[in-house]
Amino acid sequence: MNGQAWLLLFEGAWTTLWISATAIAIGVVLGLAIALVRMAKVPFVDQLLVLYISLARATPLVTFVLFLFLSAPTFGINMNRNTAAIVAMTLNTAAFNAEIWRAAFLSFSREQKEAALACGMTSGVFFRRIMLPQMITTSLPGLVNEMSFLIKGSPAIAVIGIVDLTRVTNRIAAVTYDPLPPILAAALLYMLIISALLKLQAMAEKKANRLAM
Amino acid sequence: MSEHTHASDVPAVSIKKMSKSFGDIEVLRDIDLVVNKGEVVSVLGSSGSGKSTMLRCINWLEEPDRGTIHIAGQRIGVNEHAGRKMTGKELATVRAKTGMVFQGFNLWPHLSVIQNVMEAPIYVKGMPKEQARAIAIELLEKVGLADKHNAFPFTLSGGQKQRVAIARALAMSPEVILFDEPTSALDPERVGEVLTVMKNLSAEGYTMIVVTHEMEFARAVSDQVVFLEKGLIIEKAPPAQFFTNPKTERVRKFLEISA
Repeated sequence: MNGQAWLLLFEGAWTTLWISATAIAIGVVLGLAIALVRMAKVPFVDQLLVLYISLARATPLVTFVLFLFLSAPTFGINMNRNTAAIVAMTLNTAAFNAEIWRAAFLSFSREQKEAALACGMTSGVFFRRIMLPQMITTSLPGLVNEMSFLIKGSPAIAVIGIVDLTRVTNRIAAVTYDPLPPILAAALLYMLIISALLKLQAMAEKKANRLAM
Repeated sequence: MSEHTHASDVPAVSIKKMSKSFGDIEVLRDIDLVVNKGEVVSVLGSSGSGKSTMLRCINWLEEPDRGTIHIAGQRIGVNEHAGRKMTGKELATVRAKTGMVFQGFNLWPHLSVIQNVMEAPIYVKGMPKEQARAIAIELLEKVGLADKHNAFPFTLSGGQKQRVAIARALAMSPEVILFDEPTSALDPERVGEVLTVMKNLSAEGYTMIVVTHEMEFARAVSDQVVFLEKGLIIEKAPPAQFFTNPKTERVRKFLEISA
């Protein structure tokens, strides 16, 4: 592989990285918001969210990306490829994240909440200072798992013409007639990205040991 | 906060006609209790008599069905001016005047010992961090744990955890500290260290309501002993009278078995 090929490969890696990172960042927060709303058990809204989560979890990412990109104009929404990819990946990952956050909500100890209320904390302060920090620590392994699934599923966005890290290997091979080196290089880059995530997970697990009472 | 000079002031806690049911079961019936500033009240009774529920109603962790509770003169749970239930924020303001120590310690495991103590002063009272830190160090010295201030709760013994929990309750300078069986979850050899701290607090003039099975503590430290049976206060007396000359057959039996 020559310098030109490497340059293309890094461009593809960058595309994969920034689109995935954007979807992950929004998806983690959106998942938390969905879990919060679900904990409030508002009638109708709750059923709607359950339906969304079921649909998003049951649909392959590639199908979802394609559907969103092709159907958006029908609803009068003009989306470019990148936006469609980000929206689809965000909606996909938020559904899984919502379930991870919800599990953390459900397993949180009532005793700690009582201790917080007893010394005069409002529910808001309790959530921000006591509950959320612990939920982040306990949920991080699950969230990171979902992040790595999302990144590994991200080649799906090539279906609407985005040249991501996997798609770019095709392009390089089309010129060099040697498909193996770019594929291997891409695999290496995926591993690098994922291993950074796993590092984060290991840090969280170390911190989580403190929470064992 | 040393002498009992304010006994004539507004009581620290005043409970009138308080009742509470869980479903069909009436757990508390017409509870009347006045706790003056600087007093220690021990609450005795067998399991299921309503002791803990009574304590948990005082800071509204359980909502009583009827009756009124005042903390240092302020009604808890009901906004009397507006004639409605208190909002979460209003409730929090009154709760901040009480401290609670739980049977299971209920420390926050993600925070170090000193952070557990500083948390409420900073985030409830809005106290500057440095000031909260100074107070926390002082309180940890009081409970004998200043050397553990950077430790995390999972590294502590039960007795140490409970002493941190006491320091956490003290940090808000509460009008009254509610103790819910503070030594019941401890190894026998750890009970003493917690009771010693509590005895010292009483000597310093803290107002305390203590649900306990520790007869010796109740006898030595309390100003009043209250005995609950099936949700009713059937006896309320100074310890000298309660332990030597109980009025009811039920208490006489209870003391015989506990002796």
